[in-house]
Amino acid sequence: MNQLHNAFTLFLSLLVEAIPFLLFGVLLSSSLIFLVDERQLITRLPKNPFLGAIVGSCIGFLFPVCECGNVPVARRLLLKGVSPSVAIAFLLAAPTINPVVIWSTWIAFGDRPQIVVLRVLFSLGISILIGCIFSVQKDLRPLLQATLAKRLNVLIGESTALSPESSRFGDAARRKPLAAGTWFRLRPSQRTQSSKTESIVPQQEEKVPVLLQSGTFLLNSSGTPSRLDSFLPETVSTFYASVSPVAKGWRFLDNVVQELRELGGMLIFGSAIAVIIQVFIPREFVLNLGQDTVTSILAMLVLAGIVSICSTVDAFFALSFASTFTSGSLLAFLVFGPMIDIKGIGLMLSVFKPRMIIYLFALAAQLTFIFTLSYSYFW
Amino acid sequence: MIFLFSVFSFSNGFSPKQRKKFAKINQWLDVFALLSWGILLLKYCFTGQLKLLIHPNFFWLVLATGIILLILSLTKGIACLTSNAEVGDKNDHIVLFPPGLGSIVLIVVALAGFAIAPNVLSSQAALQRGVAENLPLTRSEPQAFYTSIKPEERSLLDWVRTLNAYPEPDAYAGQQAKVKGFVVHLPQLPEDYLLISRFVITCCAVDAYPVGIPVKLATNRAVYPPDTWLTIEGEMISETLSLNREMMNETAQAERQLVLAAKSIEVIPTPADPYDY
Repeated sequence: MNQLHNAFTLFLSLLVEAIPFLLFGVLLSSSLIFLVDERQLITRLPKNPFLGAIVGSCIGFLFPVCECGNVPVARRLLLKGVSPSVAIAFLLAAPTINPVVIWSTWIAFGDRPQIVVLRVLFSLGISILIGCIFSVQKDLRPLLQATLAKRLNVLIGESTALSPESSRFGDAARRKPLAAGTWFRLRPSQRTQSSKTESIVPQQEEKVPVLLQSGTFLLNSSGTPSRLDSFLPETVSTFYASVSPVAKGWRFLDNVVQELRELGGMLIFGSAIAVIIQVFIPREFVLNLGQDTVTSILAMLVLAGIVSICSTVDAFFALSFASTFTSGSLLAFLVFGPMIDIKGIGLMLSVFKPRMIIYLFALAAQLTFIFTLSYSYFW
Repeated sequence: MIFLFSVFSFSNGFSPKQRKKFAKINQWLDVFALLSWGILLLKYCFTGQLKLLIHPNFFWLVLATGIILLILSLTKGIACLTSNAEVGDKNDHIVLFPPGLGSIVLIVVALAGFAIAPNVLSSQAALQRGVAENLPLTRSEPQAFYTSIKPEERSLLDWVRTLNAYPEPDAYAGQQAKVKGFVVHLPQLPEDYLLISRFVITCCAVDAYPVGIPVKLATNRAVYPPDTWLTIEGEMISETLSLNREMMNETAQAERQLVLAAKSIEVIPTPADPYDY
């Protein structure tokens, strides 16, 4: 009973420490989405894959999103014609390379500054590497399609531009509708129209069929599609043009509450796991696992994949293992967790084919392993 | 994956009218989730229970968060009451939990927080984490500062830090000491020894790190059951004890240890701020 009470206290302690950071992150990401002009940003991105990857990794400072917010943004960047290296580097790095996450990591691990610094450096390194890798592999269809979309977008210059992705992702999603969780249904007429658009610039920009807009859609029960990521404005210009300040305020509130609820739920789930491991699993077992250089890193990689705790607060989760696990393995958790976890995979399926996600997963896991292992040996 | 699965089957399985009704309920669940957490955080702030959970450096953060959550909940409540049109339109955004589940989980945990007060971490937790006489290497402390404090004015943590800076037990033999802490019965210590301990917090209770010094009693330690808070006055001596600092396991090797030979022991109530920083 006493132990249960202890566990509950620790659980509350994790939540009370983490919720302020969660709230701060959510407020910032909700407001900055309204403030940063994506289109301006995109025109200024470098074309060189390596530079692009570096810049892409650092966009996180403009969009302080954790790993739930970054997938819709990365997706929008891809559809707007940003090069794959930028988009992928952003996707992997943004949840770590942003002020809120760095701050909370500092609060948790201020007594070991190397963890904070290396978390940032390793995340940057891995994201840039993977970004560069995918910028060379031009035969990867999803990425090739994105460059096509880029040309289209330059031609049309409008956010409502048709992008080949809509139809291609649609096909992919139709083949495996349930795996994606999000799915599409394209009517044949619309599909032919969208495939023609590679050569034809659409005349009507006012009333583009909803399925041809860039975005993820759900078919609701009445059969009419509704946007999955409608909470994110397409671009600032269209958003400002169409929405009054009051409505914008409500939308901001809605977004904040929604993210708080989702991420708060995830946080409770993750904190419960952390406390259960800390209190109820025999210390000898945890120590044996956690003191060995290799097994500790592997264990933390697995944990990072399962515990989909938000990156703004995952440092506190890792803190509960600080006395039992090696620094290298804590670092592995902090670097890998924000890149890929169960929750993130669910979201990524709305952007990539499963094959692509497996590549990302394998690359990120191996690089994290190599980086943190070399840290363990050489530091 | 299962979450996503259930979400979409859930949201597709109802008529628009039902969906709207669910959406409305979900909106109110949001309001209550925010409200309950706002009140809970403020309650911790004003009852002082926050001391049992996190480092005082972050009290203002929790206070600010409590206030912002209350404001959000109020605004959201007003939005629910006034603009029906807003309701239900935006619930198709990417969701990880079935609608409402996220808020219900938040509300349940907040209510549990109201019902069950946080406790002071017990000696059992200390044993499980391994009471150390030395701080983890990473927590570097200004070493010269602590050795300049007069021995009898050092707190338990000061003693541990001093010992950490200069770990030679014989150097402190004969010094007077007066320390405050709770009792831990270490199985590997003889019956007339106990460990006087404190938890040290750097961020929150999750990283609470127990430190302690063995105390030599004139009687059997059963007189002072575990978790009793004591103020002990006595003299530092050095003895050879089997006390493994790291693991607390049976294979501990006998080593020279700094031991507090108790002269007077006073039982005190659990202090309001049981943790040291």
